[in-house]
Amino acid sequence: MTAIASPAPGDVIAKPQREPVLVVSDLRAYYQTHYFGIVREVRAVDDISLHINPDEIYGLAGESSCGKTTLIKTIAGAIQPPLNVVGGSVRFNFGGAPLDVYASTPQARNAIRWRHLSYIMQGSMSVLNPVRRVRQSFIDFAFRHIGQPMPQFIDTIVAHLERLHLQANVLDAYPHELSGGMRQRVTIALATVCRPEFIIADEPTTALDVVVQKGVLAMIRGIQREIGSSMLFVTHDLAVHANLTDRLGIMYAGRIVEEGPTAEIFRAPKHPYTANLIHSLPRIGDTAPKKGLDGVPPNLAEPPPGCRFHPRCPLAMDICRRENPAMEPSGPGRRVACFAVTRGEPS
Amino acid sequence: MSEPLLEVRNVCKAFGMGGLLARYRFAAVNDVSFTIEQDRHEIFTIIGESGSGKTTLARMILNLVPMTSGSIRFRGTDLATIRRPADRLAFMGHVQPIFQNPFEAFNPLKRVDRYLFTTARRFTDARSTGEVESRADLALRKVGLSLAEVKQRFPHELSGGQLQRVAVARSLISEPSLIVADEPVSMVDASIRMSIVNLFKTLRDDLNVSIIYITHDLATAYYISDRIMIMKKGEVVESGPARTVLADPQHPYSILLRNSVLSPDAKGELLEPQFSTTERDLAGTR
Repeated sequence: MTAIASPAPGDVIAKPQREPVLVVSDLRAYYQTHYFGIVREVRAVDDISLHINPDEIYGLAGESSCGKTTLIKTIAGAIQPPLNVVGGSVRFNFGGAPLDVYASTPQARNAIRWRHLSYIMQGSMSVLNPVRRVRQSFIDFAFRHIGQPMPQFIDTIVAHLERLHLQANVLDAYPHELSGGMRQRVTIALATVCRPEFIIADEPTTALDVVVQKGVLAMIRGIQREIGSSMLFVTHDLAVHANLTDRLGIMYAGRIVEEGPTAEIFRAPKHPYTANLIHSLPRIGDTAPKKGLDGVPPNLAEPPPGCRFHPRCPLAMDICRRENPAMEPSGPGRRVACFAVTRGEPS
Repeated sequence: MSEPLLEVRNVCKAFGMGGLLARYRFAAVNDVSFTIEQDRHEIFTIIGESGSGKTTLARMILNLVPMTSGSIRFRGTDLATIRRPADRLAFMGHVQPIFQNPFEAFNPLKRVDRYLFTTARRFTDARSTGEVESRADLALRKVGLSLAEVKQRFPHELSGGQLQRVAVARSLISEPSLIVADEPVSMVDASIRMSIVNLFKTLRDDLNVSIIYITHDLATAYYISDRIMIMKKGEVVESGPARTVLADPQHPYSILLRNSVLSPDAKGELLEPQFSTTERDLAGTR
């Protein structure tokens, strides 16, 4: 890939912080249906802006049906109607070659897939083709991207599997012959064999046991550090975020409500939703009563006016029912969308 | 009453596996014993990884599958002797299940309230529509919902947390003395998980129900359970009071399990993976 705008050496010294790999600005993606004259619109991704730096694991947390998966699909450019991008942009920057996902041709999008942008999927049983051996899956996914003759390609894969503590004989196994943890490691190997700059991981450990989960997470982190890629890591399990991610974005009802370094968010959550999530985490050795969040997640087809969290929010004020809070900086590296935080406590 | 509520004694369950020639027996549950007392209402937790036999054990307690050997007695009655439909019905009224995934437990093509009404018709003396509805409403109020919220709704119209509450309400209609909850929170979001777990506490304290809580989540187990039993490959490796066992596990497997729990207070540091000790090369080669 040719570098279109490679920075001069002087620039790099002046700017130690490298360009972000991914910049999402004001992204809106709605599910729009028009049947029998009835127009229905589900605002699953509503005005989301974020950036992900090189060599960083960015965590995305939120409950089911808050739009996490829609956001990932939109970022990967893998959308089809009724999901439409209504506004905003998704821009990748792979080694000085910028690419605006929704302003470029399908060919340009295909060229980055798997080579530069790959995806670790959720259910490893349904990702791997059950009637093909693992070797065939690797050939299907990665052969055309690596561009080596078959014997060398297989050698590359075997060497890569070794990094994930898998032996070469898994290549000849069918998916059902592998345990859940091994299958998930195979999908991680599939996603990382091309050494992509950007990896999207969608709940990769949710279906695993605690013992296996810890090992798989350690491997994800190890391989990410080794190939130096950035990662968007999505899960609703906050304990995983605490152990893995560098920065964390909390999503609620199609919007990001708080963002910042993971350790800082865990130390002092600002948004009331985040605070509730973190304070309700059960810990071994702590028997103090924990309160879950009351109420129901909003229906994204008819979201409540104003701040979408206000019906469940303990700090709700008048303005929350009328206006939608924007993401505003609040402390170093942190942003939060809440009037109670950015305009002081309610009187 | 001195009879224990539930007495599980030396229970084994073996499945035949393999083909005609290479047939072998696979012990899913191997020599498990525990007792739940009649008058001490408690949350008894069974912890184990997938394939440790905890669901098979639950299904045997619910009398859904027969055991290979050993005995399970509910209030002195051996489950193996419950044969007549009327006896079965009476037993089901006393022991009720809650399943893992509420979206799979409810038929997506049928309305949610139908489950409550059929349960009320079958297990209570309510016969008229009004009586049945009031029974359903009573049960729903115990879990913090009301009939008005779920009436005529389909499962997809309710959130996972609401649906799991409806599942709990359904199990309460027959006023059981034991609830077997098989991983009730593993499919539920983190924000709703604690309200379900707190609901179990309320059931134990206010409604005098004993609960067998099956899970692989040690943190919620520590939070709610009174006693705990850790299973591995069908065998009990450790059991005792929950706080003691989880604070200071003795068996190597319990220690491994305890150390694998991701603490929310970590500083982004993970230990080295330890696959060589926990997993075999190919699961197919036993």
